[in-house]
Amino acid sequence: MNPSRATDEVCSVRVEGTLFGIPIAHVLEILGKPALQPVPLAPYFIGGLVHYRGEVLAAVSLRRLLGLDPAPKPEDVLVFESADGPFGLLVDSVGEVLHVSAADHEPNPSTLENRRQTLFAGAWKLKDQLLVTLDPARLDPMRLLQSLPG
Amino acid sequence: MDDLTREFLLESQEGLDRMERCLTELESHPADAELLAEIFRAVHTIKGTTGFLGFARLEALSHSGENLLGLLREGRLAATAEIVSGLLGLLDRLRSILRAIETSGSEGAGGEGDRELTARLEALQREEVEADLPAPEPPPAAAAPPAPRSPSPRKVSPRRKAAPASGEAGPQRDTPAPLPAAEPSRPEASASSTGADSTLRVEVELLNRMMNLVGELVLTRNQILQATGADARFAPLGRRLDMVTADLREAVMRARMQPVSHVFSRFPRLVRDLAHGLGKHVRLELQGQETELDKSLLEAIRDPLTHAIRNAIDHGIELPAARAAAGKAGEGMVRLRARHEGSHVIVEVEDDGAGIDVARIREKAVERSLIPAARAEQMSDRELLQLIFLPGFSTAAAVTSISGRGVGMDVVRTNVEKIGGKVEIDSLSGRGTTLRLRIPLTLAIIPAIIVRSCGQNFALPQSPLLELVHLHAAEISERIEWLGNAPLYRLRGRLLPLVFLDRLLQQPERSAESGCDIAVLNADGRRFGLVVHGVADPEEIVVKPIAAVLRGIGFYAGATILGNGEMALILHPGAIAQSLGVGLSAETEEAEEHLARPGLEEFLLVEAAGRRRALSLETVVRIERIARSAVEYVDSRPVLRFEKSLLPLDDAAQDLTATADAEAPTTVVVCRDGGRHVGITVSQVLDVAGGQALEEAGSGAVSPGVALLHERVTDVVRLTDLPQLPDAVAAEEQLPAEVEA
Repeated sequence: MNPSRATDEVCSVRVEGTLFGIPIAHVLEILGKPALQPVPLAPYFIGGLVHYRGEVLAAVSLRRLLGLDPAPKPEDVLVFESADGPFGLLVDSVGEVLHVSAADHEPNPSTLENRRQTLFAGAWKLKDQLLVTLDPARLDPMRLLQSLPG
Repeated sequence: MDDLTREFLLESQEGLDRMERCLTELESHPADAELLAEIFRAVHTIKGTTGFLGFARLEALSHSGENLLGLLREGRLAATAEIVSGLLGLLDRLRSILRAIETSGSEGAGGEGDRELTARLEALQREEVEADLPAPEPPPAAAAPPAPRSPSPRKVSPRRKAAPASGEAGPQRDTPAPLPAAEPSRPEASASSTGADSTLRVEVELLNRMMNLVGELVLTRNQILQATGADARFAPLGRRLDMVTADLREAVMRARMQPVSHVFSRFPRLVRDLAHGLGKHVRLELQGQETELDKSLLEAIRDPLTHAIRNAIDHGIELPAARAAAGKAGEGMVRLRARHEGSHVIVEVEDDGAGIDVARIREKAVERSLIPAARAEQMSDRELLQLIFLPGFSTAAAVTSISGRGVGMDVVRTNVEKIGGKVEIDSLSGRGTTLRLRIPLTLAIIPAIIVRSCGQNFALPQSPLLELVHLHAAEISERIEWLGNAPLYRLRGRLLPLVFLDRLLQQPERSAESGCDIAVLNADGRRFGLVVHGVADPEEIVVKPIAAVLRGIGFYAGATILGNGEMALILHPGAIAQSLGVGLSAETEEAEEHLARPGLEEFLLVEAAGRRRALSLETVVRIERIARSAVEYVDSRPVLRFEKSLLPLDDAAQDLTATADAEAPTTVVVCRDGGRHVGITVSQVLDVAGGQALEEAGSGAVSPGVALLHERVTDVVRLTDLPQLPDAVAAEEQLPAEVEA
């Protein structure tokens, strides 16, 4: 089997104008517009706390990571697993599941600004637009704390 | 490892733990038949089981131990120190073999060590047997020399009856029979089997899961109670749900509880060995062994306690000669004490050794630049003592000999703090040292009050909360005073440092000025007021760990989900106090000093009708603010009615007759006087102070009506002087009919 023809299922999410894709195998659960509790003094990329199956998770805000304004309306949360337990990712909205081919994937361009270099894992070339690849491992809050201090 | 072996290991280890406890006790009670029976049973059980599991070393060793114990049990031998030492040696060896089996699955090679031990145990019994020979008709069993190799049919201990049924009769080897007299008697066997029938071994993991589920149930209960609160049909159901949940929680928590004796039991041995090794005489006193603590917490305090005891004997207790020179008994004392205090268990390690020289601590701390010299001068003795928990301090080996407490106190503190506990130390030079571990009963569910700051809810654990003070909007600028940049509040005449929660958390400024609340907290001796924007009802909260990424903030002890479904962060008063440099309160120190000195009693100092008076703090039940209109009269005597009970009032402040305004509030101190409660009106509550009884000059008789408080002779209110209520009412305080009549 030719690996370049293998297809992946990717969960598409949207933040402002950008479409992101996260391999569906990484997604533990999608929480639709859950209540969000702010955490004073938290690192800037933490959007707040969300309740997930009896646990209280810290949710990383993709908007804050990208330096965007706060979301105008409630956001959706994707739940991922990390070495320190599950964490959430706040996005504007979760879209449909897309099938992408590894052959259509390209790494980050060298011209991409530094912060996005560390957050993005390349992109898939869709017919009409780019689907930015997100790797949950890069969004692990403990890792962000080290790679993006301040 | 198969189940049978695992069960054998568990059972044997428990048996050995019991044996250790009994052995050390045996030294002081050499003839105690029950102790001997218990020890014998432990060894016998191991021997009985090892045979068909094929552990030859264990079997041979326990056999020689059993022979010796048999003689002891029959009273043919007295338990001398040598014999106890020999048996302790056996115990250690059996333990190390069990450990080897646990890790590698096999016993390992015995070699010379086993042979020596066997020889030692045999020598111990042979000597005595020979010495006993002149005794008339020694029973043949006792006189028979031990014959480890003589083949004879093996008996299976009654406790292990079930084992062969599992098909493992295989490796039955011919082994020496236990001496007939040494077989456990029938009653013993049946007693132990009833014990086994009514108890069950449960995986701790399962209990943890149950505890989590109960936590979820408590949460759901809170939500249901809030959602249905307005509906009358749900009220009885809600109450029932509330009760069942509380009972269930209690039961699951109980299932996880174990008496502290599980940990304490190993210490007599430790103390004995340490003391022998150092040439010191030390008596270990154990108190409150039945106090129960969550199993995981119990495990967590094992090492810190061991360390503390080691230190107490190593560095605290002096050599007999030094003790004699200091006028103390040659035998030192280490007391291990456990008790409940609210939602905590307090475990204390107290010794009557040399104590800690505070001046030297100050010197060393400055020398090692742990604290600036200027600060060291301001610190109280109590604060200075706590410095030994600093990593830089206690690991400094050179300090060991002067601190009297040895190295590694920072490790003790870290371990205890990991489980949400606290450590503190008190010491009087020359008199001894007390190390106090404050352990929460459980980590899972705690009572808390919900406070608001800038519209956000936070949970504040109730245990450090002393009182709440509400300030109206108009009062704030007047009542909160500033000294430089430090906000302060005068609480009964004393300045209380304040912390504004909104500023601490850098929340946006509040625009509209409204009232605020001051939560007066005592976080491990650090007293401060936390200023919040509002206080909601108390709630039992389920503590959820907070995400690792947020732990660095330090002000949060966890997170929780409230009854209304909202999440709230749990505040950590200790960390807040520490980060702001709130010092250990001198007040606490005074209070403890007073308590430490006999003959001192604590009083509530009040002002009544322009005079200072004192009430014994022991008798004070609570302080009430009431409207004057709430006071009723029985035969012209003022009384207060609470639901169905009646409280006679003593109008010491002459407050009830002074003003005509019926709604003006007055303060009533409710006191306990024998079986009854009485109320005393006061104009103002001033302070709590330690007081000394005064003697009449010449006669030396104690004057009960006065005490020396803050160097002033103060009247003590004598509750017994208050007249009883008129007969009809006084006969029974709970007679509402008479009141209304």
